[in-house]
Amino acid sequence: MRLRAHPVAGALALAVVGFLWIPILAVAVNSINQNSLMISWGGATAHWYARALHDPNVRTGLTTTIEIALGSTLVSLVIAISGALWWRHASARARAVYDATVYARIILPEVVFATALFFLFLKTHFPLGIVAIIIGHSVWNSAYAAVIIQARLVSLDPAMEEAAADLGATPWRAFRRVTFAALLPGIIAGGLLTFTFSFDDVVTSYFLGGSAASPLPLVLFGMIRFRITPEINAIGVMVMLFTVTLMGVAVAAFALMGSAGRGRRGALAEFYGQ
Amino acid sequence: MQAATALRGRKAASGQAAGQRRWLGHLLVVPTAVWTLAFFVIPLALITVFSFGTENLVTFNVGFGWTASNYAAFGSDLYLSTLLRSLALSLGTTAACALLGFPLAFFISRQRPRAQRVLLAAVIVPFWTSFLVRTYSWVNLLQTDGPVDRLAFGITGHHLQILYSPASIAIGMTYSYLPLMVLPIYVALERISPDLYAAAADLGARPWRQFRRVVLPLARPGLIAGIIIVGVPATGEYVIPEILGGGKTLMIGNIIVGQYLDVGDYPFGSALAVSLMVILMAMLFALRRVQPAVEPR
Repeated sequence: MRLRAHPVAGALALAVVGFLWIPILAVAVNSINQNSLMISWGGATAHWYARALHDPNVRTGLTTTIEIALGSTLVSLVIAISGALWWRHASARARAVYDATVYARIILPEVVFATALFFLFLKTHFPLGIVAIIIGHSVWNSAYAAVIIQARLVSLDPAMEEAAADLGATPWRAFRRVTFAALLPGIIAGGLLTFTFSFDDVVTSYFLGGSAASPLPLVLFGMIRFRITPEINAIGVMVMLFTVTLMGVAVAAFALMGSAGRGRRGALAEFYGQ
Repeated sequence: MQAATALRGRKAASGQAAGQRRWLGHLLVVPTAVWTLAFFVIPLALITVFSFGTENLVTFNVGFGWTASNYAAFGSDLYLSTLLRSLALSLGTTAACALLGFPLAFFISRQRPRAQRVLLAAVIVPFWTSFLVRTYSWVNLLQTDGPVDRLAFGITGHHLQILYSPASIAIGMTYSYLPLMVLPIYVALERISPDLYAAAADLGARPWRQFRRVVLPLARPGLIAGIIIVGVPATGEYVIPEILGGGKTLMIGNIIVGQYLDVGDYPFGSALAVSLMVILMAMLFALRRVQPAVEPR
């Protein structure tokens, strides 16, 4: 009997996929459930969506989150792209140090990192708020972006750059038309991933936002801890649709790379596989 | 003629510029180096140093004198039991992820390319979508008279009452971290040539023996990568126990946040964070030792 067709493996695998999707279905169902205790089905309503959309905390939270996500994506991409370009010409030892710091930024529990950065900002009187959160997010986000952009380096043939130079392209033009063009799918995918991770973050924002900045995940976190409201499900569905759309674009970019998409920390899977 | 001269001139200039460009090439490490040093290495060094300091709880001034008292307080029953519970929950989560994730990764790796893509998307898409809301969803699913409880009541005649217990935290963590286990195992398994299975089957190996002698050894690097990516962050988890633990301080991450943001005892909070970091580093080194040398691409 071929292992591939083993029925137990198949049934277990599909059950596990179900396990991953049931909570998401529950969120979707409860977002239109009239029963506010969410224990049983009480008929359909759009009430929770209306309430979520009119909640001023949710609205300002969303604006703050988008500002932070855009800022941290930009900073992360600058760090990751320059790092990847440096990596190509670095010595084996320097590469090992660089890879270790990337790895450490991804693997260290966020609680430890966030307390440390919070303490540094406290001691240096650096104001907490949006800028502090952007710095915090970009520390781990740039590591994810670095992994993804570095994976793209493999497809970059130095002979192409030499050819461009021999054909009379200026260094800047050769960079733009050959190097940057080859890295572009990785940059798009990395940028969208970092945007999504930043959009979803709780712990780093919790420490570094102080009283000045309350991004959407912190607004939700507050709601979840202090009261039960179906409004959260409605916001959740909207956030999910938004991030899935973004990630769909990221996957399209990955498809150009001929490689499957991965999530935060999941980027390490490929990193490790290499 | 003119064009040829211009080209030669440009080539000579590019030769001169090469050294300059190499130098500029090294400058490209500056953003990464500055960011990592200033906002990662230095803060971690800072809390390590201050974890040996003392704090005036009235003025919140952190004085600096070498004292191990912050670490001594760590030996008290409350903190020690929380640390042990964190380690146990992380271990249980990692084991559950491996037990659920391995068959799934294996199943996906044996499908046709199109089915593989669909199944991978089914694993990854939940992982992208609002982590907070997905965790919160388990409160609804696990509450008394919720769907899981009703199912259990129908079968056993007893209510489960697992919400706000360590069990619900383990379920929430397993759920959240599962894709991180599936992906590296899948990457490792996907590279196994189907010929190997065919050869093992032709040589008379039954499925279990094929699994033990072919699949498991080749999946090992992926499995260990998965254990690291799940086990290390899970030990310091904060949000999941906060939501599914019902406000009880069940894990070390919650105590660290509490010491920092509620109590304001920074040296003690730092000592806890540093201890966690040291324990995790020790775990990491132990796991890297069993990781066989990664084969070149």
